Amino acid sequence: MHNLGAASPFGRLFILLFIAWRNIWRNPVRSVLTIAALVGGLIMVILYASLLEGMTRQMVQYATEVTTGHLQIHRQAFIDDQDLYATLPWPYLERIERDFPTIHIAPRLYAAGLASSATTSTGVLIKAVDPEREAEVTTTLSHVRSGEVNLGIADTTSTGLVRYNVVVGAQLAKNMKLSPGSELVLVTQAADGSIGNNLYRVAAVLRPLEPNFDRMGVLMSIKAYRQLMYLDSGFHELAIKLEDIDALPEVQAALDAEMQTLQVAQPLDKLGGLAVVRNWRQLTPAISDMLQLSRSMLLLIGLIVVGLASLGMLNTMLMAVHERAHEFGILLCLGMKRRWLLLMVLLESFFLALISAVVGSVLGTLLARYLEEHGIDFSASMPDGYDWAGMVFEPVMKGYLEPGQIVEACLLMFAVTFVASLIPAWRSVRLKPAEVLR
Amino acid sequence: MTIREFSRYGMAWTIALSILAAVAQPAHAMQVEELIHHIDELWRGETSRANMTMTVKTRRYERSMTLEAWSRGKEYSLVVIREPVKDRGIATLKVIGNIWNYLPKINRVTKVPSSMMSGSWMGSHFTNDDLVKESTYEDDYNSSITFEGKRDGKLIYEISSLPKPNAAVVWGKVVMEIDQQTLAPYRARYFDEEGALIRTLSFDQDRTIDGRAVPMRLSLQPEDKPEESTVILYQDIRFGVPLEAGFFSLQNLQKRR
Repeated sequence: MHNLGAASPFGRLFILLFIAWRNIWRNPVRSVLTIAALVGGLIMVILYASLLEGMTRQMVQYATEVTTGHLQIHRQAFIDDQDLYATLPWPYLERIERDFPTIHIAPRLYAAGLASSATTSTGVLIKAVDPEREAEVTTTLSHVRSGEVNLGIADTTSTGLVRYNVVVGAQLAKNMKLSPGSELVLVTQAADGSIGNNLYRVAAVLRPLEPNFDRMGVLMSIKAYRQLMYLDSGFHELAIKLEDIDALPEVQAALDAEMQTLQVAQPLDKLGGLAVVRNWRQLTPAISDMLQLSRSMLLLIGLIVVGLASLGMLNTMLMAVHERAHEFGILLCLGMKRRWLLLMVLLESFFLALISAVVGSVLGTLLARYLEEHGIDFSASMPDGYDWAGMVFEPVMKGYLEPGQIVEACLLMFAVTFVASLIPAWRSVRLKPAEVLR
Repeated sequence: MTIREFSRYGMAWTIALSILAAVAQPAHAMQVEELIHHIDELWRGETSRANMTMTVKTRRYERSMTLEAWSRGKEYSLVVIREPVKDRGIATLKVIGNIWNYLPKINRVTKVPSSMMSGSWMGSHFTNDDLVKESTYEDDYNSSITFEGKRDGKLIYEISSLPKPNAAVVWGKVVMEIDQQTLAPYRARYFDEEGALIRTLSFDQDRTIDGRAVPMRLSLQPEDKPEESTVILYQDIRFGVPLEAGFFSLQNLQKRR
């Protein structure tokens, strides 16, 4: 066998691999414990990565699907201080619809007002949408907790006053004790300076969407809004959904150009400023920052966890090398090259890492799959979900496993264990045969 | 009364009424405490009834409203919009720190919550807070006469008022000028905590009513919007009209339209 080994470098390597593998199992309990620690670390990293990925995916989905859309257009003065008069003219909407057949658009209007029910009053944010267009762009109107979304006319009072249906945010409904069927009074300052006031019927209460809307959102149709606000000049916000999210940069640029053209064809008043097209990353910088941050967080946490597990391996290998000092001495006397010795120790730790990687990946994948299916359910303690970085999340935290992340986690572990194994390997190389054989 | 009332930054008619209370005294140098106290005493128990127009000018629109107002002391007031037709009958009732609006179109009374106090009152540059803030001049401000003499061709007292450390007031400083001859206010300037001027309330067109010099016009000028203003012009004002506290009730709020 030794002769065989001497025959070629490959043969030698094969022998080394064989010896290293055998060496690991000379003390199976110790090796298994070491592997268990590494496997545990790896599973932690995989689960953490999967949960983080699940959250960021949920975040992106919420950021775009629930209320924001992929792109939005506003006037500068509306962005700066919600200027009621900073509207984009209605003809713009038709032009954009005609020129961009592959995108979905939804106009929106906003106003601040005072809402009163029979018992209490509070400041609210009035939001007006076109229900049909809105449904094509966001899922806002489908997040219903109670009631039925209907923004049409509810009824006419005995004095001939038309009551429109409105939809309110979850927290607002709770604070004002509103439920479907409740009456709501809205008072605001209309665009012409008069006191806009009207009666409404609460048609539905929405589930939490985003903290601002939950706390003070009242949603109505654009028709109802116009009757309250006497604002006919246009809309404040255009939410846009792309069919293909990958085309975002091109569509944004094209819309920018379109707005330039439109502003030449139909100039806007100076006070409201220019039209600005922004994508969801620009609209929700907190979320896009979170996405950036979560990647570096993942690396850091991974390093810490795997680093800790590697300490176990470092200990194992140091022990192994220490125990076998005598044996190494003999090998060196027999003419074994020091670099082969070094390689052998490194191979031993590589095997430990390899077994851990295989076992850890398999177990981690199985657990992550489970998380993907079932998630971690907080709904008992947080029925409304939780809000983080200005977004409301479902109370069920679901994982999302990306195969690439398992590979990365394994590579990370190999790297860290390799660094850890350098110390025992180096010590074995520095052995003085004369001393250890004495 | 003025000084005290100014501290609440003036719901216009309240201020105007308060001004009325400032009886024309023979001009002599007065101590600031004396001045404030004198004015406070004059104000209490006073009732009034006034007709006025309020003109609000903003970058986007200019509109005039005709208002009828009643007041009793500093605790009670009622204002009803007479013109324009669109807003006719909308009434605001203030009773000891609370504000209600009555809206005839929908026949509902709504209470203005404390969170909306900084909101504009009826679209003007006055806030709900201006209307509701209980007088705190004597309690919440340290006042002193910072100038006494001729300014703009008038002999005036300039009273500077700084809030006391724990006072719940919005302004960092209020400086008002009062005519020494008539004790009618001439100008009040409101500063924030950084000492920047926020708004100026000017008084002119004095008329003598019941032996008092009463400015008939109040112009509120926000400092950051030079092209905007709210001007209140009194058509007539009467004092000492018999008004019971019960007049200022929610029932009356709806009846008065």
